[in-house]
Amino acid sequence: MSGADPIIQLRGVNKSFGAFRALSDINLDIRAGEKIVVIGPSGSGKSTLLRSINRLETIDSGSILIDGHDLYDPAENINSIRMEVGMVFQNFNLFRHKTALQNLTLAPVKLKKLPLALAEEKAMTLLAKVGMSERSGHYPVQLSGGQQQRVAIARALAMEPKIMLFDEPTSALDPEMINEVLEVMIALATEGMTMVVVTHEMGFAREVADRIIFMDAGRILADHPPETFFNNSGNPRIQLFLQQIL
Amino acid sequence: MTERESPQIDVGDGAAIPRRDDRGLVSAWWIALCGAVLLLILLPLLKPDPYLAILRFIPDGILITFQVTVCSIILAIIIGLLTGLGRISRNRFINLIASLYVEVVRGIPLLVQLFYIYFALGRVVRVPDIAAAIIAMAFCYGAYMGEVFRAGIKSIDRGQSEASHSLGFNHTQTMMYIVLPQAWRTILPPVGNEFIALLKDTSLVSILAVSDILRRGREYAAESFNYFETYTIIALVYLLITLILSKGISIMEYRLSHYERR
Repeated sequence: MSGADPIIQLRGVNKSFGAFRALSDINLDIRAGEKIVVIGPSGSGKSTLLRSINRLETIDSGSILIDGHDLYDPAENINSIRMEVGMVFQNFNLFRHKTALQNLTLAPVKLKKLPLALAEEKAMTLLAKVGMSERSGHYPVQLSGGQQQRVAIARALAMEPKIMLFDEPTSALDPEMINEVLEVMIALATEGMTMVVVTHEMGFAREVADRIIFMDAGRILADHPPETFFNNSGNPRIQLFLQQIL
Repeated sequence: MTERESPQIDVGDGAAIPRRDDRGLVSAWWIALCGAVLLLILLPLLKPDPYLAILRFIPDGILITFQVTVCSIILAIIIGLLTGLGRISRNRFINLIASLYVEVVRGIPLLVQLFYIYFALGRVVRVPDIAAAIIAMAFCYGAYMGEVFRAGIKSIDRGQSEASHSLGFNHTQTMMYIVLPQAWRTILPPVGNEFIALLKDTSLVSILAVSDILRRGREYAAESFNYFETYTIIALVYLLITLILSKGISIMEYRLSHYERR
């Protein structure tokens, strides 16, 4: 792959749940290192869009290429593509029967055949990075929401992915815990990670995003850098949405 | 993070498994245990003839009952796991086969199944009576166990498997590393119930010329005509075994849930 090619490429993507059109002819190119923030009212298809990028949601038509690999090519191994795409969920989804440390080491040991000692060493470095090294032996139920989400980010990073997807990572958190998670995400952004983030955190979008994508009714209505987006988005639909959440 | 209550799976007729928070049941358990032990000690002491003779006569049967129970439950768990996975499979054919098996087995009384498999098997191959009994018990309990496994697997939040898939684990790995280890905690109490119910139901195999506790007792009673005394001892032995088992399962259940405690 040459560097100019997008690392994520969506072409004519459609997806319906029954009669409900979740994604409608989506075309999107994301280059390596770009930070994309996806916003829009609920039911606009932004989570579906994100989840389709690692095929947690299967699309009805169109194509999705990740680093040149077609997600729907039968010859491709979906699981090895997924190893390159980390995902962070709204509800954290930490493995409840594993400690924080084990949550981080499980996939590298089983999938990348990393020796346990090495995996644990790397895991501890990551836990330190998200400020959770002192809680490495705790089970998810013993951690607060913000702590769980930081461990969940570290778990995704443990596979050393090229792309990180965030599905409303702070929506299930108490207000005082939102910042600790956002700080970790900002640090990650500064390191040059390719990130696609579905969020309502406009401050984060303004600070970190290279492009803000606004979705409504399964379509991309706007795709602009933050300054353009916030200052002169002429679209009344976007104006209304921003008024409601800001 | 919401604390999800692990769903209770409705089960058959095992002995009550004492829960840590159920004080009434725990003390009932103690009274029953002490009563059974006391009677099993006092009766032979005070009236060696016939109680001591009965106690000497039936240990062979206890061993057979254990053999049938343990072999059947292991087979039933394997069949149950496969059936449970089959019932949630997206492959329609596998799903149909598993569902059909469950429907058929649930619709036929255990005793009829025992006779049927025993004699049907006897037409095709010559197997020892005890093996036929074990196969029949496992065949029947496998279906019930399948429902327990299905419910247990379905009780695990979908987010757990989504997280697993997002890391690159395939279906089988997700089941092995993520879903089943967690489901096991939900599954254990009903599996324990089935285990105890199965142990009690092994008394049915005495009809198939398998010398379990009940059959040994019947043999003794037929010779000595001490029907009342024999069945008293047999009832006490069954009670003692199931009481101990139910307590053991309750302890195991507590140990397994260590990661859910704050």
